[in-house]
Amino acid sequence: MNRLDGVSARRPAAILALLVSCLIASTHGTAAQDSLFQESRPAMGTTVEIFLYTLTRDRAAELFEAAFQEIERVEAALSTYRSTSEISRINSAAAHRPVVTDPEVFGLIVRALEYGRRTSGAFDVTVGPLVKAWGFFRGGGHRPSAAELAEARAKVGWQHVAVDSTRRSIRFLTSGLQLDFGGIGKGFALDCAARVLRRHGVDSALLGAGQSSYLAIGTPPDDRGWPIVVPDPHDPTLAVSTIQLSNQSLSTSGSDRQYFAVNGKRYSHILDPRTGEPVTGMIQVTVIAPTATDSDALSTALFVLGSKRAAQLIEEVEGSAALLITDHGEAEKIVAIQWTEGLDP
Amino acid sequence: MKRREFVTASAAAAGTSLLGLDAMAETLAKRRLSPQDEINVGVIGVGSRGQYLMRLFLRIPDVRVTALCDVYEPRFAEGREITGEDTPVYRDYRQMLDAASDLDGVIVASPLSFHGEHMVTSLERGLHVYGEKAMGYTLDDCNAIVQATRDSGRLFQTGLQYRYAPWYREAIERIRTGEIGRVTHVYGYWHRNYNWRRPVPEPSLERLINWRLYKEFSGGLLAELGSHQIDVANWIFDEVPTSVIGTGAITFYHDGRETCDNVQAVFTYPSGGTHVFSSIIGNHNVGYQLNIYGTGGSVKLTLEDGSFYYEPARANSAVPQELIERGVHTSATLSTSGDMPYRGPGLPIEIPDGQAGNPNFLAVASFVESVRNGTRPFADEQVGWNSAVTVALGNEAIRGKRYVEFADHIGTGE
Repeated sequence: MNRLDGVSARRPAAILALLVSCLIASTHGTAAQDSLFQESRPAMGTTVEIFLYTLTRDRAAELFEAAFQEIERVEAALSTYRSTSEISRINSAAAHRPVVTDPEVFGLIVRALEYGRRTSGAFDVTVGPLVKAWGFFRGGGHRPSAAELAEARAKVGWQHVAVDSTRRSIRFLTSGLQLDFGGIGKGFALDCAARVLRRHGVDSALLGAGQSSYLAIGTPPDDRGWPIVVPDPHDPTLAVSTIQLSNQSLSTSGSDRQYFAVNGKRYSHILDPRTGEPVTGMIQVTVIAPTATDSDALSTALFVLGSKRAAQLIEEVEGSAALLITDHGEAEKIVAIQWTEGLDP
Repeated sequence: MKRREFVTASAAAAGTSLLGLDAMAETLAKRRLSPQDEINVGVIGVGSRGQYLMRLFLRIPDVRVTALCDVYEPRFAEGREITGEDTPVYRDYRQMLDAASDLDGVIVASPLSFHGEHMVTSLERGLHVYGEKAMGYTLDDCNAIVQATRDSGRLFQTGLQYRYAPWYREAIERIRTGEIGRVTHVYGYWHRNYNWRRPVPEPSLERLINWRLYKEFSGGLLAELGSHQIDVANWIFDEVPTSVIGTGAITFYHDGRETCDNVQAVFTYPSGGTHVFSSIIGNHNVGYQLNIYGTGGSVKLTLEDGSFYYEPARANSAVPQELIERGVHTSATLSTSGDMPYRGPGLPIEIPDGQAGNPNFLAVASFVESVRNGTRPFADEQVGWNSAVTVALGNEAIRGKRYVEFADHIGTGE
């Protein structure tokens, strides 16, 4: 693996610092009129950051505003923390009656349920009660009692969500079910913001949400792509891979920050919705896919499914690739699936 | 009012495409709805607000958006993306009203200066109207919309969605019971740090896309933001103001815009109440807040919640005579505590589970229910008129930096 001089690849801020330095270095040969601008804002429960090339700072400010307003629109629709959101409206009523929603929200729910089907429940948009039972909502964690776990599991199951495409309605077949877009909401918001930027003529931008999801529009001028460093989860000075992202998205699940320990045993913050237990044996999964919604869903699903099922799923989604780092006791194994470039030795 | 000449011209233009009376009667008879019927809605103005409203309408069972109208062609693809269908599109709203015979109602979300023309014509065609705020740009616009609503027998709902916010309703219900004493003042702020500009693909489209910045089309911050808080003040005092004094300036963004980037207006009500409104878009510190001050307490309303605050109790009590006989002590101490702002949390307005909701959605759902049941909308044409006329006269004060008496413009009617 390559040593990254002076930065800790484990820390997202440092990864970003590296990214920025790469971008600045890559501006040689840029058309004279374009400059790189950056803005970040708190959104989707994390920090969303946008880099883009455009003519002036004023133009950049208008583009950032349009993109962040779109992200706010999506958050206002999807957030389970807001009682006024569309998802809160669906969650509060769908156990009692079918709830009609607009084509965008309906489409996203159908897409999430489709991932539930394709991954046999490894990705589950109803996993919320389990996450809550394990106390993962606020960054902490505790092992729930058997009774608590059983109660939470009874409220989880993508297959208990019925959809009627003719009426665009959602119905929960089990009470206590809750849709939660924590798994793909950030990616979906980036996809929407990117569509807005493209509409405004932006052809070179990188959007990131919490450093776990990135979406690239085009490339930096005269460059192959937006450089993204996939860090070694164990050694902050090492990179597993450095890739050039272009008109694609990349999502990473799992890192050294996303776990908690009880009696020396390390629990991942990612739960297997099928068992109700935290995933073991997987350290980090990074996925490249055509959209950030897909890369978000796939990275979570692959983390749960493990490397054996991962290859099949990646082959099913055109334009996707994955890099898995699995835990084998003392050693770790890196599994690359259709990951053709940027693997650091 | 300076815009009468435009209104006159547009009313004449609209008149050329009106249906004959017989045809209108036939149309009205045809559109009698049963609660199970699908409701078809057209959209005039498929910009950001129009698109947002479309999504809300599409969350209601058996509502379809079946026609889109805009003068800017890229909006068609954006609108169709939202409907998920190959929805018919029109560049002229009159063509839409002629061709889309299946419509039951329209959303009017065009620039403010076109509201009068678009809303009046739609009503005259026998369509129910969900009309964005402010209802009309000029007093004449507002009068014409009210008249058209009443003549047509159709329903008009103005886009003042906080009328449907559960925490606003709860607050006003409790204020009416006297919980904060007699309300004397409303201080409304809507401050942002954002230049209010949308990206423009080419300079020739500047006025079309950034219409909010140009007086020809826009009532500026008082109309686009202030109309909501003005409506709530009208609601609280249950009357419209008698006078306004206003000012405003372009302080932050010297970019060719014509509408102020900060405005301040003070409205006086017949019963003695005062509404002080401020909008600044170069500093976000206070954000959106509506402070309602009464003799016994206050209410703070925001876009997401509200809280009650109570004035300190000042009960006096009997004390022994010897207390004063001992003498009181003098000192030079000045205590600031009595004048420090209250920084506590207040008593939040609790909304029962299942009754919360997005005010925009609740407003739209209520409109559809009104259309189905023939019931009068809560935010009806009179509510719209009250707010829009207050905005129009407020803008007259701001633009002239002067004092405006409402009676000089609206008499004692309405």
